[in-house]
Amino acid sequence: MVIKMVRLNVLEMEKSEYTGGKSSLCPGCGHDQISNNIIQAAWENGIHPEKIAKMSGIGCSSKTPAYFLGKSHGFNTVHGRMPSVTTGANMVNKDLCFLAVSGDGDTASIGVGQFIHAIRRNLDMVYIVENNGVYGLTKGQYSATVERGSKKKKGAINHQAPIDLCAMAINLGCSFVARSFSGSKKQLTALIKAAMSHRGMAFIDVISPCVTFANNDESYKSYNYVKANDEVLHILDYIPHFSPLEEVDVPEGEFREVSLFDGSTLRLETLAADHDYTNVVSALSAIHEAEQSDRHVTGLLYYDSEVPTATDTLELCETPLVELSDEILRPSSESLTKVNSSFR
Amino acid sequence: MKIMGKKINDFIVNVATANGTGSQSSNLIILHSLFEMGVPVSGKNLFPSNISGLPTWFIIRASEEGYQAPGDKTDIQIIMNKDTWISDLEKLEEGSIVVYNEDVKMPVDREDCILLGMPMTKMARKINAKLGKMIANMYYVGALAHLLGIEDWALNKALESQFKGKEKAIQLNLQAINEGKEYAEQNWDFECQYSSEQREKNPDTFLVEGNEAIALGAIYGGISMLSWYPITPSSSVAESIIKWLPDLRMNEDGLTCAVIQAEDELAAAGMVLGSGWAGGRGMTCTSGPGISLMSEFIGLFYFSEVPGVIWDVNRVGPSTGLPTRTQQGDLSMLYEASHGDTQHIVLIPGTVDECFEFGWKAFDIAERFQTIVFGFSDLDLGMNRWVTDGFKYPDLPMDRGKIIRTQEELDAIPNYGRYRDVDGDGIAYRTLPGSGIDPILYRGTGHDEDGIYSEDPEVYHSTMERLRRKIDGSRPFLPSPVIREESEKDIGVIFYGSMENTIVEIDDILEKTGLSVSTCRVRALPLHSEIEDFVRQHKKTIVLEINRDGQLFGIIRKEFPVDLITKIYSVSFSDGMPPRAKVYAEKILKIINGD
Repeated sequence: MVIKMVRLNVLEMEKSEYTGGKSSLCPGCGHDQISNNIIQAAWENGIHPEKIAKMSGIGCSSKTPAYFLGKSHGFNTVHGRMPSVTTGANMVNKDLCFLAVSGDGDTASIGVGQFIHAIRRNLDMVYIVENNGVYGLTKGQYSATVERGSKKKKGAINHQAPIDLCAMAINLGCSFVARSFSGSKKQLTALIKAAMSHRGMAFIDVISPCVTFANNDESYKSYNYVKANDEVLHILDYIPHFSPLEEVDVPEGEFREVSLFDGSTLRLETLAADHDYTNVVSALSAIHEAEQSDRHVTGLLYYDSEVPTATDTLELCETPLVELSDEILRPSSESLTKVNSSFR
Repeated sequence: MKIMGKKINDFIVNVATANGTGSQSSNLIILHSLFEMGVPVSGKNLFPSNISGLPTWFIIRASEEGYQAPGDKTDIQIIMNKDTWISDLEKLEEGSIVVYNEDVKMPVDREDCILLGMPMTKMARKINAKLGKMIANMYYVGALAHLLGIEDWALNKALESQFKGKEKAIQLNLQAINEGKEYAEQNWDFECQYSSEQREKNPDTFLVEGNEAIALGAIYGGISMLSWYPITPSSSVAESIIKWLPDLRMNEDGLTCAVIQAEDELAAAGMVLGSGWAGGRGMTCTSGPGISLMSEFIGLFYFSEVPGVIWDVNRVGPSTGLPTRTQQGDLSMLYEASHGDTQHIVLIPGTVDECFEFGWKAFDIAERFQTIVFGFSDLDLGMNRWVTDGFKYPDLPMDRGKIIRTQEELDAIPNYGRYRDVDGDGIAYRTLPGSGIDPILYRGTGHDEDGIYSEDPEVYHSTMERLRRKIDGSRPFLPSPVIREESEKDIGVIFYGSMENTIVEIDDILEKTGLSVSTCRVRALPLHSEIEDFVRQHKKTIVLEINRDGQLFGIIRKEFPVDLITKIYSVSFSDGMPPRAKVYAEKILKIINGD
């Protein structure tokens, strides 16, 4: 007799009950690592998959809800409009844990308005941006988060200032703001777990470099290299196969250089242990100081557990509205008689 | 000058003022006091897209026949506004009565009219120097009370309902009305040929705006989420819901409906979609420009089969158009909104009673057919006040549609799939997030019967055919047309929406020429089968509408059998004004006479 050992969470569920379908993203895509971290975090947190609602917009990242939490309902909505759909669902069922995945095109460009207003309402949700600086599905155009001076293979230099989604979120009063890296499994899982436990808008900007269409000329080095060295390939639809980035865990207060698929480097800095995440000014300083030395600072930048959520401010009844009976939703006929008399 | 015999309860008053001077209160007091006396009366507010200063007109029509259209001429003109003074005077027919504010110091060069001046601003300033400009408007109420014989008790009742128990405001305004009346009695040596006379009034009747009726309908329909973005002329739907919720939808521990003022119409539509997906009854209200913005989401409602309700209170397009004028300009847009092949259910009330009824029914229809349902109203019906004898309580329980709430229910369906048509009516069963039952990832991309992503040609084609069958199947469930048939089947007139308020007068004009005219008021899209029968039975059918292109005519021409098309004609006209009977009647006569 073979005894199989399985690890169970507090709900006595196996991790396999939190997995999803097979990914159709490019092999080696950092987004798949994020999906794995979401699975890990949800399982470790012991949230039943049926109590989670997976939300997304359009783009590579927005496809990923199909690849995790197969036992949760979800909605792959339209481009840039995920926050409004989440808002409507949250209004009528505030007990669901809304876990949303978006990209930098979906959030920083077409959906920037809805992103801003979901933060302003402190909508109770986890909002993960899988940030790679490019539009992948339409083959490599700049997004609004790409650094100034970046040069695309086929295009001009980007002269526009990038949108730093974390800085923007902090300025808008977001109650939970963090940044991480798709290869930082330990940190990212911890942040997603914390975000799922937070009541209010928990925003995590995850740097997730594109294996196929990275955004500056150098980043095409490896791609070009592959193209130049393999004459039989149909270049236009060739997607090189990369292994996922190795795990990087940068100790608190330090930074590491991470080599990307294309030979370029990313400088990741982890917030110091004494970072004051309750202070807006320290949070913004950390972002801007790191930026000055070409680094990306990661960790929990800002946190405030006291901000009322969107449903708190509406003075709704305790029961989620979808659970109210028809008798409660429709006022009595006596009340209509009174309404009619009030006009007479 | 020839003085005609007394005309009782049959006159048209036009009040010309500037926006933002408080004249709306004065106008509503005139309207309500006549209404209280049992005079069949209607009021039209013609206002500009402006907060203060631009010209505005209010037309009050009393008509024993019950005509509610603005009418073709003015019997009594009140002029208060310097900017339109000259043109207001020029438009008048000989013999009209002009009541004017002497303090405006403008010439009144119409010797062929009856000119009645009053120093309204001076008198008003004497009562209250600060509010003089506003109170000046109450003097023309007094003037009209004198000319038309509006009774004191009726004025008092209208004042009370206008100022809702604010005693100081009531006293101040009443004083102004009385002074105006006294001034007219003492200074105007003229007996007015028009007068109002008390009739037996049904004590159940009252005046209400269509928008407030929609709001109350939605509340009784169990709305659980309202998202909205302010836009004229729909804002008062949302504002009325907000006003009534604390009275009607407050549980022991809080409200049973969430209200969100969205950042734009796109977000408002997205919130309706989210709430419908999660099992709630979501609604938004907007006007044409909002629908343009919502089109993307409308396609997602249709294709992912999520229920929701959107009310479109039409204003004049295209683009920003005439934001405060009325039109039936959005019908074809609503019917086929969003890219690709779509078709949507549209409910079209023609009265405030129907605004209420369709207000609650829209949710039942949306959940039954798992799709977006539009309500179609317009500025005229939505923002003017119309008579009702009281809203009727819903006579049907809520229809929540095919929702599976337990695993047992799911197991009872062989070969279940979110988009599998197991009943043959094109409507599949759905499960809700949070239930853990058959969780799927909803999507706007192609999907098979289990909701899994698919680009398979057969799968796409059969999905689209099923969607067509589903919406087609709604026809018998939607409000059937209201048909008023003559025994002689000469001319049939098909119309819809707020044209209901002008059709009686149009019908009378046509019948005076010896024609026999039946009418058919369409109350929903897709069209009910009785409408085709109506066309079949009449020699000629006119499709009458308040737009340029004949939008319903276009839909009919596309959908009806070819042999019927040759006897259907379009009469469509729009200038932003509420429909005047004569304009449309003349166009119909032209077609009938073959001009």
